[in-house]
Amino acid sequence: MKLPATVGGKLNLVFPWILLLILLLLPVTSVSDNILRLIFITAVWTTTSVSWNLLGGMAGQVSFGFAVFFGLGAYTTALLMQYGHSPYFGFLGGAAVAALASFFIGLPTFRLRGPYFVIATIGVTEAVRVIMNNIDITGGASGYRIQEAGAFRPNDHYYSAIVAVALAVGVSILVANSRFGLALRAIKQDEDAACDIGVNPYTSKLWIHAIAAALTGIAGGIYARRAAFFYPGDVFAFQTGISILLMPVIGGIGTVWGAVLGGVVYGVVEEELVARYPNIHLLLYGTLLIVIILLEPGGLLGLLRRLFRRKSSENPGSNGADDVLWGRGRVEKRDL
Amino acid sequence: MDAIEYLDLLLKSLLLAGVYAAMAVGMTVVYGVMKIVNLAHAGFLMLGAYFALEMYERFHIDPVLGAVLALPVFFLFGMLIHKTLVRWLPKSDTPTLASLLLMFGFWLVLQNIGYLVWGNEDRSILTPLTLSSVQLGQISVPKVNLIVFACAVVCMIVLQVLFRRTWFGRSMRALIQNPYAAQIVGVDDEKTSRLTFGIGTAFAGFAGALLGMLYSFSPDFGRQFLLRSFVIIVLGGLDSVSGVALGAIVLAIVETFSIIKIPASYQPAISFALLVVVLLVLPKGLASLFNRKWRAA
Repeated sequence: MKLPATVGGKLNLVFPWILLLILLLLPVTSVSDNILRLIFITAVWTTTSVSWNLLGGMAGQVSFGFAVFFGLGAYTTALLMQYGHSPYFGFLGGAAVAALASFFIGLPTFRLRGPYFVIATIGVTEAVRVIMNNIDITGGASGYRIQEAGAFRPNDHYYSAIVAVALAVGVSILVANSRFGLALRAIKQDEDAACDIGVNPYTSKLWIHAIAAALTGIAGGIYARRAAFFYPGDVFAFQTGISILLMPVIGGIGTVWGAVLGGVVYGVVEEELVARYPNIHLLLYGTLLIVIILLEPGGLLGLLRRLFRRKSSENPGSNGADDVLWGRGRVEKRDL
Repeated sequence: MDAIEYLDLLLKSLLLAGVYAAMAVGMTVVYGVMKIVNLAHAGFLMLGAYFALEMYERFHIDPVLGAVLALPVFFLFGMLIHKTLVRWLPKSDTPTLASLLLMFGFWLVLQNIGYLVWGNEDRSILTPLTLSSVQLGQISVPKVNLIVFACAVVCMIVLQVLFRRTWFGRSMRALIQNPYAAQIVGVDDEKTSRLTFGIGTAFAGFAGALLGMLYSFSPDFGRQFLLRSFVIIVLGGLDSVSGVALGAIVLAIVETFSIIKIPASYQPAISFALLVVVLLVLPKGLASLFNRKWRAA
């Protein structure tokens, strides 16, 4: 199996499987419920982070609008469960609805490039939240409550979250190694040049958007089933969209494991630190964002790589792509 | 609806357009010169509103005077931010993700400082003036709206004179048109950028103070105005003061008159929908200037 360009070394081939095995066996051991809940939340966030990275990191299309898919997944799952379907069918339904919505959003907005696309996604999120606040079937702004028959089984929730995150990482690695992934990276580096060598940027972006949306929708459904109560100001919030974008940026934008790392850090910080100091979390994320952009655009993964001196020896070429995303080396294109 | 009511709405939208223009103009100059989509603008608007509030409550300074006082204070603040943060961004002639996220991070910081200092309850600036109104024929207009409109218009004129008649304004316009050619003929890129960022921030603080007289505000204040500013800037062709005025009028009219057809609870969605539509439809047709950037992006 060929590894994605961003991951190197034999350790990386074995490590994910060991991690997955540990995560799957954890509920059998006598680990506390609180730790399992923490891992559950972290896995849900990591799923969104990894799926955002598919569009934002690989294809270079930064979207503030993933809260839309998260929220749609949550609401679809809740409604399907309300009509007597199994929650797992609900997750699939959430994925389908989110993917469908991604086409509605992507068809107009992918005509835009760069920051104009970013701004348009901000507009879309705000508009969708306003609409969801006013729709009757979901209870509008006052929220929605899921009634699930039977006892509360934390292990069900736990395993569905672990499966979701494994699915997201698996899809990411598959995409990164495929021709499709190569096309996406070409789009990120230079859309016009990608066009010239036979890539259709518009349809490629639409498809990766749909895949990312479906995965985010599943995460939203899993979150909603456990939370059992949610409202548009929560799942559709601008804040949710920001969080989903922050995670890969923190971890290392454009790399699968960076997105995973970012999701884990975010999940733990959000649950442990923010719960203790609730009134400084914006300050924390804002400062982190500023520091990362000015000092280490490669995120935590870039920092780790720099510490262990692995970047130069194993991946000499991987830095160029991220420079494109961060807007370096684009100046010379202008005609005088 | 009779003619008087239409006239009333038209007047209201014109008054609204004045504030909108003052609000968006700071963002426009920063975009024009540095190609930075300044998301922290919302944070500056919020700080401006609280600045006027603090001035009024502590020193009993009239909010209108408070807004004028905000200009120099925020000017220095903006220069400081440019010196500490913005300067280090990679230079580019199209807006970059790094600049977008940096300003976004700074907005989060400002918002959090707002919450720490002022708490999360809604505040408003109430003076005897804000509660009175004037009668123009059959139409009654709150006095404060008229005053705010006048302030905004005066400031826009001052800014326009600054751009057209001073050396700084000329070098700024040169940088907007072509940064390389401007540097070749001796425009100091760094200094002009710093001054521009100062001016952009100054106008954000000023507009924030004006908006604070009209609406109640919390540390989250500014988000709804941020997207409106985008719409205005994009409508106006991105980097001219007169374009901003035009964009502000269009947005204000659309928003005000849509009340007739669209329920008020959907009101916030209008500017966002307009934003997407404008981004998609207008740029190709109207401004050739925008077209060039579009391709380069």
